[in-house]
Amino acid sequence: MLVEKGLLKEVLDQALEKGGDFADIFVEYKKTTGISLEGGRVERVHSGTDVGAGIRVVSGDTTSYAYTNDLSREGLLQAAGIVAHAFSGPRKECSLDLRRLRPVVEFTIAERPDEVKTEQKARAVQEADRAAREAGGDRIKQVIATYGDVVQKVVMANSRGEYVEDERIRTRFAVQVVAAEGSLIQTGYEAAGALAGFELLKEHQPAAMAEVAARRALGLLEARPAPAGRMPVVMSGEAGGTMVHEACGHGLEADLVQKGLSVYARKKGQKVAADIVTVIDDPTLPGRYGSYRFDDEGVPARRTVLIENGELTDYMYDRVTASREERESNGHGRRESYQHKPIPRMGNTYVAPGKMDPEEIIREVKNGLLVKKMGGGQVNTTTGDFVFDVAEGYLIVDGDVGPMVRGATLAGNGPEVLRNVRMIGRDLGFTIGTCGKDGQGVPVSDAQPTMFIGELVVGGTGHAGSKGKVKRV
Amino acid sequence: MLSGTLDIALWAVEKARSLGAEQAEGYISFGRELVVEVRDGKVETLKTAREQGLGLRVIAGRRVGFAYTSDLRREVVEELAARAVSNAASTSPDPCNRLPAPVPEYPVLDLYDRAILAATVEEKIEMARALEKSAREYDRRVRAVETAAYHDGEVEVGLVNSLGIKASYRGAYCGLYISLVAEEDGEAQTGFAVDYTLKFALLDPVKVGREAAQKAVRMLGARSLAAQRVPVVLEPYVAAGFLGLLGPALTAEAVQKKRSLFAGRVGQEVASPQVTVVDDGAMEGGLASAPFDGEGVPTGRTVLIEGGILQGFLHNTYTAAKEGVSSTGNGVRGSFKATPEVGTTNFFIRPGASSPEELIRNTPRGLYVTEVLGMHTANPISGDFSVGATGILIENGELTRPVRGITIAGNILDLLKNIDGVGNDLKFFGGKGSPTIRVAGVSVSG
Repeated sequence: MLVEKGLLKEVLDQALEKGGDFADIFVEYKKTTGISLEGGRVERVHSGTDVGAGIRVVSGDTTSYAYTNDLSREGLLQAAGIVAHAFSGPRKECSLDLRRLRPVVEFTIAERPDEVKTEQKARAVQEADRAAREAGGDRIKQVIATYGDVVQKVVMANSRGEYVEDERIRTRFAVQVVAAEGSLIQTGYEAAGALAGFELLKEHQPAAMAEVAARRALGLLEARPAPAGRMPVVMSGEAGGTMVHEACGHGLEADLVQKGLSVYARKKGQKVAADIVTVIDDPTLPGRYGSYRFDDEGVPARRTVLIENGELTDYMYDRVTASREERESNGHGRRESYQHKPIPRMGNTYVAPGKMDPEEIIREVKNGLLVKKMGGGQVNTTTGDFVFDVAEGYLIVDGDVGPMVRGATLAGNGPEVLRNVRMIGRDLGFTIGTCGKDGQGVPVSDAQPTMFIGELVVGGTGHAGSKGKVKRV
Repeated sequence: MLSGTLDIALWAVEKARSLGAEQAEGYISFGRELVVEVRDGKVETLKTAREQGLGLRVIAGRRVGFAYTSDLRREVVEELAARAVSNAASTSPDPCNRLPAPVPEYPVLDLYDRAILAATVEEKIEMARALEKSAREYDRRVRAVETAAYHDGEVEVGLVNSLGIKASYRGAYCGLYISLVAEEDGEAQTGFAVDYTLKFALLDPVKVGREAAQKAVRMLGARSLAAQRVPVVLEPYVAAGFLGLLGPALTAEAVQKKRSLFAGRVGQEVASPQVTVVDDGAMEGGLASAPFDGEGVPTGRTVLIEGGILQGFLHNTYTAAKEGVSSTGNGVRGSFKATPEVGTTNFFIRPGASSPEELIRNTPRGLYVTEVLGMHTANPISGDFSVGATGILIENGELTRPVRGITIAGNILDLLKNIDGVGNDLKFFGGKGSPTIRVAGVSVSG
């Protein structure tokens, strides 16, 4: 145990000295490993130990938060005193028995990374380097491979008498390949990550990932510049879920909704998407990058249906936003570390698969852009305008997959795009990422089936008209 | 207090040496931070933080190992030393792995304004309130303030190495941040403004609040624009974002690893003659200023592009050793959790002679770009970018109507060469700064 229950009670009691509706403490003990290879050399092997606690008191609409690295009795009580100092009411009595909560789901870790030798982890990045260079020959100019693992132990306790102990183990691996021909430079990227141990690299072998990244970079060398203009877009199931994350995920986070900063505010129970669209956030899926048993304020994780058959059914809540609506949190209060207060966040967000054969969708669309892999994205939740990067894209010509294109970005408006979903495939492909909001990064995954969107803005440097087969709509 | 913490770093260095490291370096920091967020005149969040940590870098058998901890108890630091030395065994050896030697002196900089610490929390809350109030009073269409925040912090950094460097400094900063929404006829637009400085007296909440409100209000009624190629005028914030894309390519690390757009082009014209790009780690008042970098090398001024001609690259001790040159003092550490990597400090485009108004007036038809979305998706290796954008149309030298839902795309090298106007309004956003910039022709898609 990181901090004794007796001390946790003392700290919560001290934090509520000047009143408050709710107090909690989040204690974290984190061990990290980071390994990176570039230029054929294992450049970095880093180990980290991060220890700290964040203490919070919520009173009405005000939150007071303090954190410290000092987990001694004096250190924690001092931080609790600073938090209490923000208020000036009478002491809030709290009789705490600190009952331990049990998780709703269990995840199994097959091979704990803290029991795997560093040399073995370093070999993984070297395997990736070799495989990428073998796959691409002279045109491969650089291979960057990174491995990381995190073992995070947390203890959470609050003035409702709830106590949670948890351990989160995450492992990730990524390869970036730089290919060049003449003055043209292109990059290919492939990444895997999960709430899992070193077994991740059995399912996602470093060499295989490196080959995919190398082939993508080489393909882009041959690709033509992406067209510019409005056109139909098919997102392949294997492309990942950046679009659902940006086009609707963020706008369904309750803090943005309550502040009136989301296009989806005041739309619960209303139609916001085509009938075929169902959107779910489910942190209880086993072994995904955004999976967790408890969120970061001790609420058991649960599957939340956000949009059902086109109707907005729920937002993602943490404790503070839930209490404003006099409801319970649905387990989406997450934080990067003890240095941050929890806010509503996504876990594993996806569009539920439909019934259509993905190839049939491409045949039906006839002409447009096929997105085979999505990159990063960003959204302005207030207007709903979003963009995301196409890491691998092709033109669809007469119902067939045509030539590869490079440098495309897709831009759209969340609600418009959701209404404009015309067909949904029966496949589903996940991608991982670190999602940034309010300066906090948390691990997430997202997924979509193959989807046909009637029209999106494709931002490329080529001219749509000059590409012959691409019809502008 | 710092002399005590330096002792911990020294002890870790000695411990690593006793475990077989030929060279060792301890970087220790102690920080304090305050954030006040106000909403509807009331404090929404009050956050106070104390953070400390030690990063230990060792060189053993020409291999580098690193470990960090935020737990500074003796037994943990002892384990840290063992971990750093054992990590070195899994990295590749390189004769250029070395630590810098002591220098006679460091630049003397004014980095610690006592007024920041002296101001009471109540005064700081008042400042955040004034920020929110000025934004709301600017225009009745300002409907919601997402965040109106006052932020300050101070940090003490100590650095010791086994070659004899033993140095420390103290710095403090303060800033204001506001983001808000303006609404009219059911349409919402966002605006934000930010200002960070080393001097408490320079904070101007009324100005920052108005700037954010004005940015949101001027976007009301925005529509898309047909695909075309037009001249664009980039606001300083947007131009600084594009400049940020160049940062990695101007490091010797990227050149040595064959992933720089500028490799092998020193002495050549890589930008329009109006463009001069500078990095200055010892700049007066710079948010990224410090007497020494993350490995104890004095900071200084490096001109990277002068009049469009590429002059050279940024170095840390390792990349300098590779080429037999001196480090430029650009071994930048994000925190005690990271090793000193080649990076920018106060990195900016030198201002020109034209006012931003003149740049717009001399543009018959173009786009004034006020915000970009997805800059992080641009590719710093190839230089290709395609980002979402909002802005205001320029017709006959005047700003006419707001534009949204478009993308602008191209390659950063073409953008540099096509710059045909540099404003006199250099503005910094943290460590990156730019004046207003005009670019001759950029692909716009909408």
